[in-house]
Amino acid sequence: MRNVAIIGVGYTPVFVSKRKDVNIVEMISEAVDAAFRNTNLTPEDIDSITFGNMQTFEGLNLPHLWASEHIRALDKPTIRISTGGTTGMSTLQAAYYQVASGLHDVVMAVTWEKQSEGDSQVGLTGIVMPEAMVMIQHGMDLFGGRGMAGMGGGSTGAASYQAMSYLHHSGASPEHIDKMAALERTNASKNPYAHLRKVTTVEDIQATPFISWPLRYGHTCPTSDGATVAIVASEEKAKKLADQVAWITGVASCTSDPTTANLIEGQLTDSAEQQPARIASEKAFAMAGIKNPKKEIDMAELYNGFAHQSLMWLEKLGLCKEGEAHKMLDKGALDIEGELPTNASGGVFSTNAIGASAMNRPAECALQIMRKIEGEHQIPKKVRNALAHGWGGLFQYVTVVILSDEPRKAK
Amino acid sequence: MERKVAIIGQAQTKHSEDIGMPRERMLFELVKGLFGQFGITRHDIDTFVLCSNDFQVGRTISNVFEDTPVGAYMKDETKVEADGVWAVTYATTRILSGIYDTALVVANSLGGSEFRPYLIMDYQLNPTYDRQLGFLNELSTAALQARSYMDKYGMTDAQLDMIAARLLRNAAKNPNALQAKADATPGYVAGSDYLYEPLRKLHCYPFTDGACALLLASAEKAKDLTDNPVWIAGMGDSIESYYVGERDLFRSRSTRLAAERAYKMAGISDPMGQIDVAEVSTKFAHQEPIICEALGLFEEGSGGEVADKGLSEIDGEMPVSPSGGGLGAYPFSAAGAICVAECFRQLTGSAGDAQVANAGAAVAHGQDGFCAQHNAVIVLSKEEG
Amino acid sequence: MAFEMGPETRQVQGTWDVTTYRYKIEGKGMKLLCDAMKEKKIRGIRCNECRTVYVPGPTFCRKCHIDIDEVVEVKDTGEVGTFAVLMADMRGNPVDTERVSAQIKLDGADTWLGGTIEGIDWHDVKIGMRVKAVWADNPEGKLSDIDHFEPA
Repeated sequence: MRNVAIIGVGYTPVFVSKRKDVNIVEMISEAVDAAFRNTNLTPEDIDSITFGNMQTFEGLNLPHLWASEHIRALDKPTIRISTGGTTGMSTLQAAYYQVASGLHDVVMAVTWEKQSEGDSQVGLTGIVMPEAMVMIQHGMDLFGGRGMAGMGGGSTGAASYQAMSYLHHSGASPEHIDKMAALERTNASKNPYAHLRKVTTVEDIQATPFISWPLRYGHTCPTSDGATVAIVASEEKAKKLADQVAWITGVASCTSDPTTANLIEGQLTDSAEQQPARIASEKAFAMAGIKNPKKEIDMAELYNGFAHQSLMWLEKLGLCKEGEAHKMLDKGALDIEGELPTNASGGVFSTNAIGASAMNRPAECALQIMRKIEGEHQIPKKVRNALAHGWGGLFQYVTVVILSDEPRKAK
Repeated sequence: MERKVAIIGQAQTKHSEDIGMPRERMLFELVKGLFGQFGITRHDIDTFVLCSNDFQVGRTISNVFEDTPVGAYMKDETKVEADGVWAVTYATTRILSGIYDTALVVANSLGGSEFRPYLIMDYQLNPTYDRQLGFLNELSTAALQARSYMDKYGMTDAQLDMIAARLLRNAAKNPNALQAKADATPGYVAGSDYLYEPLRKLHCYPFTDGACALLLASAEKAKDLTDNPVWIAGMGDSIESYYVGERDLFRSRSTRLAAERAYKMAGISDPMGQIDVAEVSTKFAHQEPIICEALGLFEEGSGGEVADKGLSEIDGEMPVSPSGGGLGAYPFSAAGAICVAECFRQLTGSAGDAQVANAGAAVAHGQDGFCAQHNAVIVLSKEEG
Repeated sequence: MAFEMGPETRQVQGTWDVTTYRYKIEGKGMKLLCDAMKEKKIRGIRCNECRTVYVPGPTFCRKCHIDIDEVVEVKDTGEVGTFAVLMADMRGNPVDTERVSAQIKLDGADTWLGGTIEGIDWHDVKIGMRVKAVWADNPEGKLSDIDHFEPA
């Protein structure tokens, strides 16, 4: 396979809850234009385009068709990828494979979401709509909560199951979730492309009410409008086109069964178990030639719709021992200046344009490696290897991308 | 490209108006059957590429409940949300990268029984303008395209009926087709109701429940598993303007560009001479000449003449859609994958009554969008090349 | 880098009507379960190969990728796999009484089933705690026939 690098990233100027001044395609083209500006490329330099979002969130089917000219795709190969929360990274991986295979040299991955144009609750409920209907037909008391109550209160309820199980098995306390939340929100305050940008203390988080124990409002992510574009290139092209690049040295994805809501056919796995994270990360590490991820990975950008997840993912992805993540948090190891800066960007927890969320992770890693971070969240130490992680589906999909400052060493 | 990719097997449902079972069961049986053909298990598959559409499944993240029936539990899996031909190109790309040796493509839709296709198609429209106006929809744009071609090149309604009749007769030779009639005549087609003049019901794809699975492998793996592989010799795709009014509807620019890319990769300079059979994804009968001409299989504007002379019959000079194509069955998402699967059947000599004699190279096509805005082309060959 | 949003664009309405779908959903496992519940029993399906017991039972095994149909009865006792305490309603308003919903691994089953836990202060609920089903007086073959679970 050929070596592939991210040579540039483009964001919309802001990620906010409502971009009322632009429509969908105008918003996407802002990020596309930014990517061209940041790389000094023009549409003619692009061989192929990969495109992804979660279309039910806007109620617009196959949006790449409408957006074709706005993403500068006319007369070019274009493919649409959609895999739920992992969409952003799946779309980047598609671009990676197109270059690694030798089919194309320069590929642009376009990911976005404009959640204000749709109804996020409809989008989320839509995942299990038919199953929920069957449960109700069979006497599930959806609102009263008697009998078999299914998910225990929407997506936050399902996440609470996961958080509870994680806390139990790791020995972390609910206060660790508050602490992680405060750390990431404060990181986000330094990131001009974050949505919720406010220096936040543990007390601020603890002042928010509980939705579903052990999760509070302050542990949940926002819904955002925004788009992120990454341009990837072959080694030969990357060297010609860019001074600083970040190499994609490992890619992997894995699915399990729909945990937390396999309401009608029996849920097989604990949603805090996340075996796919183990499988995918091991595969990606092997590909990147990383033997000791705990030492060799310098930073992590993790997909955390809820604040407890950063801690959980660190363990499940093999970046620390089981039950160690909260101790690292206490030591300050997860701070921007720490040993393993985690979600220096503020994470999905602070910025969540869903289709772009799993793209922002590798995009941030790449910018950190290139030392091109805008804002105050540049990691001071040299970043050699970074882990970007995506998560989605009904708690079952995991994607991993490893980014490095050098190309993959040929075996 | 360092590697070669082969298709080593295919499986399709018997496409129908109502498959009569849940989607998950349909996919499980389909994939189990395909694994059975080769005596392999789900653990022999390196990467699963699914293909379905959230609006057509009526579910956010349509593949949430699709990956366990196809055997992807704890496996590498992704989803293409477009026509199935893109799932095939993506699976091929993944194998070409050298990271995977085997890939399973599974594409499906229950467009016959689970949703109303023309209604769902409206969600593709620009929501702030075209969807509000209500003028453009799948049928009205197809009718514009048909009229555009017929007026430009003088193709008659009777010739359009001939294309549809031929496809319906071909479909009768395809055990999986849904809309078929062994003795279909142009008169039979002309006897069906107008849906949107000049398009009659029998010029249009049937609403179909169905699925298609394809097993792909790298050269070494392919040779382990079968004596009869079909090689992916070239692929290409291209997209054009969303705005129907900005395009020449009587020709397909994006199909032409897609074909140029695929032919270049496959080393094909004379498609008329080098391609033996084509399976094209036609949702409507009039799209067949437009797409075939863009593929370089016939001269531009020759649709009427091709129909008159029967050049695209199974025993004609350039057999097109011996399976009956989109008129025989059109499960969304799967339709393009079925074209690839039908080319596979032709090139492995297993197309039964629809078999084209001495087929060595084939071209498969898939489309998305109104008036085939986005097109992809795959060239398949018996020769490893 | 101060970015200022431009003036608002016009907005128009659109809907995605999920009621237009006629979903086909596997009903066998749910029917098996509900029929059993009429007799205050819980039944699922076991895979012959890996011996995994699913409740409700699917028609194929996710791990082995084979058809499965061996009906097995599991106990109405089990342990708490995980739980959450609902403190706000669907609209985000605080609830009057906290509700413990849990995922419970019934004895004999390998899958988790949803249920509420009553008869215990929510602060005292623990993962791994033993619970048993409390049945409705007159089961009708519905999921609500198990009224709730309580500590065993």
